Amino acid sequence: MEIRLQHRDGVAVIKVLGELDYSNVEKLEFEIKRRWEKVIEIDFGNMRFIDSSGVGMLLNQARRLHKQGRTLRIVNIPDFIRENLEIIGYFQVMECLERNKNI
Amino acid sequence: MIGYNRKAIRVGKLEGCGSSLPAGKVGGDFFEFFVHNNKNVVAAIGDVMGKGFPAACLMKTIHTMLCECVNITPHPLEVVRRLNKIGGDELRRRGAFVTLCIIYCDGETGRLSCVNAGHHPPIIVSNGEVKVVRCRGVALGLLEDYLGTGEEEIYLSPGDMVVMYTDGLVEAFGPGEKRYGLERLKKIVHQQPDADAAKMKRCILSDLKNFTRGYSQRDDITLLVLRVLKKAGEGCGD
Repeated sequence: MEIRLQHRDGVAVIKVLGELDYSNVEKLEFEIKRRWEKVIEIDFGNMRFIDSSGVGMLLNQARRLHKQGRTLRIVNIPDFIRENLEIIGYFQVMECLERNKNI
Repeated sequence: MIGYNRKAIRVGKLEGCGSSLPAGKVGGDFFEFFVHNNKNVVAAIGDVMGKGFPAACLMKTIHTMLCECVNITPHPLEVVRRLNKIGGDELRRRGAFVTLCIIYCDGETGRLSCVNAGHHPPIIVSNGEVKVVRCRGVALGLLEDYLGTGEEEIYLSPGDMVVMYTDGLVEAFGPGEKRYGLERLKKIVHQQPDADAAKMKRCILSDLKNFTRGYSQRDDITLLVLRVLKKAGEGCGD
């Protein structure tokens, strides 16, 4: 996995390339944790694979940032990854976070 | 009333079998059969977030809780709601989640109830047609209360089959970084209209082995097949 950092209009953009799994999930978690911006955007445009450890870490970070009044959002999600996230319920959890209930 | 720790089952008009292949020495996938009233079967399949020993330990905990929940009531929606309640705190404390799909099959009527918590939905083979169950839900541990589309009911006829699997099966890597995929799984299932549960399991695993030959797999692979016998006392191939 390769991580590229950008800054755009006050938003931290973290581009993730390759495969996010159990073996490297801490690397992306570290990058998210050290950002200070209100909005952190994870760009999945060049992702080939994500496992449950990757999904779990992103949900945990989204929760943590939400408690701080900040936002984690994922953009450019390839269809096969979107399908997996939908099956797990990722987007429903994010909706609940935004509505601030049941979480 | 309810027995568990079964990897294969044959009760009344129902037969089932399953296999779990961890990617490492141990894994976070699990499956289980339970017998209810000596004629009905509850089948569950799940996948704990993560890999290796930590996932395997958490899997044991969740599996024990699942058995307790099914013993209280085998109703799938109640099992999922209760398991999410009693296991949810532990999962959130560890920053983890579990995907689970559970079915209850009435051996007399063929009525199948299915509830899904973040898991790939089962495949139903009925009268030569292959369908994917529609029910969806959020994985266990992600929300305080289980959220999903509810219980889906399907009536199975003699010879019909249910195939349940974890993501490691359909996401298994083969040549050119291709995945095994749901379409290939549906195709191989469709090609075995007269197979019993054990033969269906063998055919799927054999096709998967052909596809992944030479490519190491990064995720556990678990498969469970439940079938309504064509007639009582029908021979079993495993």
